[in-house]
Amino acid sequence: MQAGIDSQAGPGAPAKTSLDARQTSTAPGLRLEMESVSLVYQAGTPFASRALNEISLVVEPGERLGIAGPVGSGKSSLLAVLAGMEAAASGRVLHDGREVGGKNPPAPGSIGLAFQSPESCLFEKTVYDDVAFSPRRQGLADGEVRRRVEEALAATGLDSSRFGHKSPFSLSAGEQRRVALAGVMAVDPRALLLDEPTAYLDPAARRELIARLVDLNRRTGVTMVMVGHDMQELAAFAERLVIIDGGRKAAEGAAKTILTDVDLLDTYGLDPPGTVVLSRLLSVATGRDIPAVTGEEEAVGLLLRLMADGGIMSPP
Amino acid sequence: MKVNNMISGQYYPGSSFFHRIDPRAKILAVSAYAVVLFLVAGFGGLVLLAAGLAAGIFLAGVPPSWLWRGLRPVLLLIAITFLFQVFLTGGEELARLGPIPVYREGVFRGAFLALRLMLLVLSGSILTFTTPPVLLTDALGRLMSPLTKIKIPVYELALTMTIALRFIPTLVMETDRIIKAQKARGALAAAGGPVARARGILPVLTPLFVTSFRHADELAVAMESRCWRGGRGRTVRRKLAFNRRDAAFGLALLALLAVSLWVGRFQPGELEIWR
Ligand SMILES: Nc1ncnc2c1ncn2[C@@H]1O[C@H](COP(=O)(O)OP(=O)(O)O)[C@@H](O)[C@H]1O
Ligand SMILES: [Mg+2]
Repeated sequence: MQAGIDSQAGPGAPAKTSLDARQTSTAPGLRLEMESVSLVYQAGTPFASRALNEISLVVEPGERLGIAGPVGSGKSSLLAVLAGMEAAASGRVLHDGREVGGKNPPAPGSIGLAFQSPESCLFEKTVYDDVAFSPRRQGLADGEVRRRVEEALAATGLDSSRFGHKSPFSLSAGEQRRVALAGVMAVDPRALLLDEPTAYLDPAARRELIARLVDLNRRTGVTMVMVGHDMQELAAFAERLVIIDGGRKAAEGAAKTILTDVDLLDTYGLDPPGTVVLSRLLSVATGRDIPAVTGEEEAVGLLLRLMADGGIMSPP
Repeated sequence: MKVNNMISGQYYPGSSFFHRIDPRAKILAVSAYAVVLFLVAGFGGLVLLAAGLAAGIFLAGVPPSWLWRGLRPVLLLIAITFLFQVFLTGGEELARLGPIPVYREGVFRGAFLALRLMLLVLSGSILTFTTPPVLLTDALGRLMSPLTKIKIPVYELALTMTIALRFIPTLVMETDRIIKAQKARGALAAAGGPVARARGILPVLTPLFVTSFRHADELAVAMESRCWRGGRGRTVRRKLAFNRRDAAFGLALLALLAVSLWVGRFQPGELEIWR
């Protein structure tokens, strides 16, 4: 509801919609809820396939939720339904308590949705125009559009003055990805839903993108849901984690709890974060009871402590 | 999504008698059936052909709702054909719709042509309902293979069709995804005049073209790197062979067509539709 009013703001309206202004907004993050939702593709044909099965889920306002699971388990489908872009076969999807999906689209400007490889959705002549697409659709004045575009590009690590006039199709894959994500962020949504946003990026770019997302969430309080395939990345991103398997919710809990449960991850064919493996190895090597750590910085701290008290030898 | 249903709606998986007939035999059968449909000039022949088709549908095990789906797109055409005949054929007056007279011959002729069209469409859909698209193009390619003698690249054409079919589901899924993604960005909430509306589909069309060209490009490179050199000197792995089932089917069909032709034959001087 809030976003509906926000996005309708006329040209003369104060810059209430900018990303930073969200700190002062009363309800920055959207609350997303699914009540035993099932999704069937190609219903009514012999090809009907059930992609989601009785999934219930709540994403609190401002939360960062991670979603993991094997390939084909229904993660992308879950995201589309949660966004209100795909109608559930049964069950309800609620945005701030209002039912969405099918004939009830989500409130305009409330949802930012980036599917897998979002760069395949670029279409404008210049980077600026592509990112400005949504703000313009929202009827914002040129100045406000410009501010949104610059902020969104900056949030993904691109300089508007350097990239703005280029054709999106002339950029590298990594840059295209950033532009596409900026285009979604420029909606200035109250919930940002991202499907494997780091896939096919190089390691440095991945780390940077995750850090920027977490930063955006902390600054603005926007609700975030991210599908991820790399558990270390999910460790850096998520506060809470849901594991999907065969269209069902297989596990749910604090990210740390789930990511350190190696047996649980193994059940669903997921590799535990490298830091968890490392702390396990250290336990075995030192014969001490070393707690599993999920953060990379934590892991470094652990190593330093062990070296300091002689638990392991420091490198020569 | 509706795009999905439209495309996959062509094939009804199963293992009925009809599913197992050699696809080449099915193509020939449907072609022969269509020719006879247009040769038959009397109702009697048409009714026989309809009965034969009903038997075929029964043997194919395709549910009626699917037949309806096959017919729906041409229903308007059939209706228009019927009405044209009803109002434009003169003769003995049957009834009056307000000031418009309805003639007996018109009604019969309209019904005749409508039935003929329906049978044509239904016989065609039995073929596509019971034959996977890839087998269909394969069979077409083989039936036309004598044409390679006169330098028509039949094999390449068949392969092109097969590849196109292979990519339809991929493209449908991608279109679906692009539409949703752009909708989420506020696109497609088309407002304004026709120009604005036409511009409104650009956010979907542009990415779709870019993706398709990329697919084509990647596929070409992949095929070349795997030594694809065209159709000459190729051998086939899956051989098609006619068997007894096909022979029985062929004989039954020939009998049906012959009898229909005889019953519905045209005799000059008579009002053809009375037979
Ligand atoms: N548009 C679609 N039409 C039909 N089936 C689909 C479509 N999208 C996904 N599926 C099927 O639904 C299942 C879940 O897919 P998806 O949600 O993409 O899984 P994940 O993202 O976890 O890999 C898969 O079996 C997939 O083939
Ligand atoms: Mg996916």
